[in-house]
Amino acid sequence: MTVLAEELPAHLPEYLARQRWFPAKGRPVSEIAVATEQSLIDDGALLLDLCLLRVGFADGPAEFFQVLVGRRHEPASELEHATIGAVGDRIAFDAMWDHEATAFLLTALREGRTYGDVRFVPEPGVELPAKGVGRLLGVEQSNTSVAYGEKSIFKLFRKVSPGLNPDLELHRALRSVGSNEVASLQGAVEGLLEGEPATLGMLQDFASNSAEGWAMALTSVRDLFAEADLYADEVGGDFAAESRRLGETVAVAHRELAQALGTGVRPADELRAQLETRLDAVVSQVPELAPHEKGIRAVYARLTGDIAVQRVHGDLHLGQTLRTPKGWLLIDFEGEPATPLPERRRMDSPLRDVAGMLRSFDYAVYHQVILDEHTDENEEQQLLRRADEWAIRNRSAFCDGYAFASGSDPRAQAAVLRAYELDKAVYEVIYETRSRPTWAVIPLSSITRLVAEEERESDPQISL
Amino acid sequence: MSETSEHIVEEPGAEEFGSARALEVEPDWFKSAVFYEVLVRAFNDSNRDGFGDLRGLTEKLDYIQWLGVDCLWLPPFYDSPLRDGGYDIRDFRAVLPEFGTVDDFVTLLDEAHKRGIRVITDLVMNHCSDQHPWFEESRRNPDGPYGDFFVWSDDDTRYADARIIFVDTETSNWTYDPVRGQFYWHRFFSHQPDLNYDNPAVQEAMIDVLRFWLDLGIDGFRLDAVPYLYEREGTNCENLTETHAFLKRCRKVLDDEYPGRVMLAEANQWPSDVVEYFGDPEVGGDECHMAFHFPLMPRIFMAVRRENRFPISEILAQTPAIPSGAQWGIFLRNHDELTLEMVSDEERDYMYAEYAKDPRMKANIGIRRRLAPLLENDRNQLELFTALLLSLPGSPVLYYGDEIGMGDNIWLGDRDAVRSPMQWTPDRNAGFSQCDPGRLYQPTIMDPVYGYQAVNVEAQSNSSTSLLHWTRHMIEVRKRHTAFGLGDFHELGGSNPSVLAYVRTHGDGENDTVLCVNNMSRFPQPVELDLSEWEGCVPVELTGGVPFPRIGQLPFLLTLPGHGFYWFSIKPVEDPA
Repeated sequence: MTVLAEELPAHLPEYLARQRWFPAKGRPVSEIAVATEQSLIDDGALLLDLCLLRVGFADGPAEFFQVLVGRRHEPASELEHATIGAVGDRIAFDAMWDHEATAFLLTALREGRTYGDVRFVPEPGVELPAKGVGRLLGVEQSNTSVAYGEKSIFKLFRKVSPGLNPDLELHRALRSVGSNEVASLQGAVEGLLEGEPATLGMLQDFASNSAEGWAMALTSVRDLFAEADLYADEVGGDFAAESRRLGETVAVAHRELAQALGTGVRPADELRAQLETRLDAVVSQVPELAPHEKGIRAVYARLTGDIAVQRVHGDLHLGQTLRTPKGWLLIDFEGEPATPLPERRRMDSPLRDVAGMLRSFDYAVYHQVILDEHTDENEEQQLLRRADEWAIRNRSAFCDGYAFASGSDPRAQAAVLRAYELDKAVYEVIYETRSRPTWAVIPLSSITRLVAEEERESDPQISL
Repeated sequence: MSETSEHIVEEPGAEEFGSARALEVEPDWFKSAVFYEVLVRAFNDSNRDGFGDLRGLTEKLDYIQWLGVDCLWLPPFYDSPLRDGGYDIRDFRAVLPEFGTVDDFVTLLDEAHKRGIRVITDLVMNHCSDQHPWFEESRRNPDGPYGDFFVWSDDDTRYADARIIFVDTETSNWTYDPVRGQFYWHRFFSHQPDLNYDNPAVQEAMIDVLRFWLDLGIDGFRLDAVPYLYEREGTNCENLTETHAFLKRCRKVLDDEYPGRVMLAEANQWPSDVVEYFGDPEVGGDECHMAFHFPLMPRIFMAVRRENRFPISEILAQTPAIPSGAQWGIFLRNHDELTLEMVSDEERDYMYAEYAKDPRMKANIGIRRRLAPLLENDRNQLELFTALLLSLPGSPVLYYGDEIGMGDNIWLGDRDAVRSPMQWTPDRNAGFSQCDPGRLYQPTIMDPVYGYQAVNVEAQSNSSTSLLHWTRHMIEVRKRHTAFGLGDFHELGGSNPSVLAYVRTHGDGENDTVLCVNNMSRFPQPVELDLSEWEGCVPVELTGGVPFPRIGQLPFLLTLPGHGFYWFSIKPVEDPA
């Protein structure tokens, strides 16, 4: 056993608890061990190892997390917050913060090096800069990214599963068809985990001057809410034109995915079973959902025959989109993080992505109603009316854009689209009930609306 | 101008007038100059006839110098029937009598040069008034010396692909002339026939017009409507190769005979087309020294209304590099409407809805309003817009009166809404003229918010917190840093879409680096900027000199008030030793 494997685990409980990307806070951890370690630099001021940690849980299967471990005798004072602890006569730290370490990653990718089971693979035809230091951009829930100048961004996956990561798989496929809807893949770091290939990191084009769709949408919502007497289509911060372009971008990305990885059909029964399984689970835990159960099942019951499927994003929402000066990009094709990897790689209806975006428009505007401080109920009702307008306007602009670019209007397949929206909302209900109970009203209101829409359509008498 | 029996129009030479004292030749002066557009008619009346004039303008040069202006831009002051604000020139070598004489102009030039101020003027190359003797001769004598000075045709079907520019007033680019019995070509109003540049005599005549004013000492020309000089079947008759070749010829005349004088192209086109007007980048540009960046201006308005930076980021990302010897001219407002030709239909509808709520605020494809009313007289926005104007890449062009926040009068015809008399004092006629108010060329602004009793130079001079003093101070700050005029432009991005941040850097080694951060939103905003390239440096705020925290490895956090902005100089930390 190496000194690293021997001494590192002692520091990990405290270290992991501090990490945003370690999602197991509060869960009963039964074991933390170094599952695999691969030395990348074994001599000099900096020692560098790529470690996969195995974290065992008392309430579920073990999960794997990746840490790029640097060791120095005297780490720079600015690395203090990234420190893990003493290992031998050196201090171990998270090397994504270390300039020498990030420069090494770029060099290894450019030269296509291999260290044991870890392979640094540049995409064919990509010219990488001779050298560059990575700047840490942000630590997200499932990964950590550094940017090299304004050309490249390297993403280190924190949670690693055995098997090909759809993020890498789909970016590679989209690059093969020359997609402009995603940041082009430049290279990848691949390894082995439990005998299966595993994706450890990705290098992509860096959209340097960009902002998240979520932040863009909130800007528009705040502008609307600051006006007492203007409707959603009258305010300066109107977002509909952006929503429409976003719809076009998603449609083009879907076409490219179909082109690169093919299409197929799945029996609707199979999809329905999937949705019903989730519903069963949530209904048993959230009593507030019970009044809607029948209505939801009625929508699901309309899923019959075959459904056209292809590879999709799988977890599309405004936070997975970037506005750049040239237009919109879609990012993070990992799929729903909680879903098992083989499930995420299955073909699905592109309407799942459309539904994800529609849910996101609801979230953007209604969560702001909750955050706003109202003086009375009238004011809240007023805001809710504005919010309804905003949601309707931007949801339909998105669908217009999607229909324009794809030639097929997602609203024409109302049953499937509504089923996916409900499925997403059901998932949100359980998530919010557990972590942000005051927000559960957002998906619950949407469910009420979707079920009512369904009833109006299936029984024309009511609408008369 | 007179006509001899041979029907030759005789025109005076510059030697018949004096010439202004010369300024030292500085080939790159225009790259960092602050321009100030002033309408002679609207600025100051020296002889109580109700019209501003050249002598009146000369009297106000001290004010212009005090403001920090480097160069005056005068729209046409030539003899004209004034059916298009003087852009319909009747005599290229005479001054409109209401404005004064050529001698008055030489005096203005001389006094301006004495104060270190340069002067450029509009010259309409494309067309002239239908009352110009050249056109009168051309109509009457198809075979005479001017018979071929204009574009004549037996029918009105040629060049059908050329768009009609003044869609509000014109239905065709051809108009029938009953005298000659033919149609003549005009890209603008029907009373402005296009000159025929295929005729070498027209080329010579117009180059001689340039020489006439250059000999008097003028510092350059804004060449009006340059994309339209030539016509070719099957094209849209804009930006043709022949047009560029002629402009190169004009440039060579300036370079050879009048170094340090400039040509500024007015080409309301996409930046990718406009860069052609700078000429060959291999030689640093051999056509116009400057060109207006038209699409930028509506996008500044759009970005602030949308509270996000992308309308500006997009257009700057689409703006190609320009030759080393060239510079953009940028502006917020000028004497024309806020033109919306260079935006999509969707964006135009948006701009109308947001900024032209009354139909009378529209003119042609644009909005005829001044800066202050466009921004609802919001001081924070006025400051933000001015800060953008003074810090984005290009030489800023201020419009007279905007430095005090003057208003407009949308009840006046065409574009006169934004051409009312300059407001100097709270006295009669705003101190613009001592004439009977009824004689004024157009009424002063008199409403309670923007009227001259409330908004005038005298009152704002006496208040240190006025918009006038603020504008003057910002111009002064701008002049202290070469990066604003000469620096590279680099947008920094940042995760907050409401914040537009960019760095201007000039020179290697001992360089000047300025960081500008602008909040497009009316709400306070935080932003984290990646300034790692300047790790260890300290940003020093430019208006007050306050050092901000040292730049470290982590993103640099700033908070901005609604519509707030910062200008910083980024300096290495000096060793205490």
